[in-house]
Amino acid sequence: MNKIPVIIDDKNFEVDPHKTILEVCREHDIEILTMCHLKGLTDIGACRLCLVEVEGINKLLSACTTKVAANMVIKTQTERIKKYQRITTELFFAERNHVCAVCVSNGKCELQNLGYKVELDRIRYPHLFPQCEVDTSHPWYVMDHNRCIMCTRCVRACNEVEGAHNWDVMNRGHQVRIISDFNTPWGESTTCTSCGKCLHACPTGAIWPKAIVQGQLEKNPGMVNELVERRKMKL
Amino acid sequence: MTAHTHHHVHEHELSKTDPRVKLLAAKIKKENHKPDALIEILHTAQNAFGYLPKEVLVYIAHELKLPPSRVFSTVTFYHFFSLKSKGEHTCLVCTGTACYVKGAQALLNKIESQFALKPGQVTTDNKLGVAVARCIGACGLAPAVVIDNEVQGKVTADDLINSINGKIATI
Repeated sequence: MNKIPVIIDDKNFEVDPHKTILEVCREHDIEILTMCHLKGLTDIGACRLCLVEVEGINKLLSACTTKVAANMVIKTQTERIKKYQRITTELFFAERNHVCAVCVSNGKCELQNLGYKVELDRIRYPHLFPQCEVDTSHPWYVMDHNRCIMCTRCVRACNEVEGAHNWDVMNRGHQVRIISDFNTPWGESTTCTSCGKCLHACPTGAIWPKAIVQGQLEKNPGMVNELVERRKMKL
Repeated sequence: MTAHTHHHVHEHELSKTDPRVKLLAAKIKKENHKPDALIEILHTAQNAFGYLPKEVLVYIAHELKLPPSRVFSTVTFYHFFSLKSKGEHTCLVCTGTACYVKGAQALLNKIESQFALKPGQVTTDNKLGVAVARCIGACGLAPAVVIDNEVQGKVTADDLINSINGKIATI
């Protein structure tokens, strides 16, 4: 396929036309922050961290859901983008009850790493401190809604890769929650296959296996894409 | 306005002889069990039952071969759908600016003293449910209420109680 020229952060590139801005940037080691993106899953542009500026378009576009076009002039590191990345990150922390010190994900958490990345030193928004449940009904895994950022990576991994569609999202606005079946306790779900893909897809300590201690969680989010790629192989 | 009936939905299964279930089954058949028709089918179900009991959602998910969580997600996304009974009869009190000025609060106070109901609640016998709306667009009729989908304007507290009692007495 013919390559098309694009300019990213004042550098010229020849890229595949069917790719998203995010894919192109990742290929060329241009850093784009993401949270709801997980390679192998459908991109939904929900977290708003991957916003980029495109010349001639006033609003910021999400890199994960915008395809490159010929002669596109893209900027990924402007002050405006940094400002929004910072706001988004602060809102993640203000929305639920994130307490790194007592979290299984401490030290290995994508949200925590994001905080370091945007140099989060304080949160300018009032914390909502919502009442969130911790669902321990599953024999092996725990779902802690306090630590969920509603990226829906678990939902997509369950639906698209495992094909079980145990998870989905209920309600709207600040009352949204990840649910299994009819907001049924996870352990009583009729659709969950206990495969554990959601656990690996989850960027925070919201889904974790029982019988591990604080800070000891090892997740492998890349396994989702490995599975997707292996299924594409012709035997 | 669909007629409300007195059948109570049983905990676990739907009765095939229940006319509401027949109505729902016919709608699902008409839509060829297509998962895309979920919202239309939910409308039919809510019109028939007055709300969406869990058993009905289980049935719909099964018939459309949709994941339960997908059905629940759709139901909770749209404000129109309700998982709880709104009551066999409903009284909606408008609390928009005009109605508020014209004494919507007095109406709500009267309802509370008469039926021990706050907005959003339903009587224990499921006869009456009370709700409030921000503005129903009938400001010229302030204070306005909607009793069983019928708008009544310039109501006094006593009128309102009489109307509600009249509705409850009809069935």
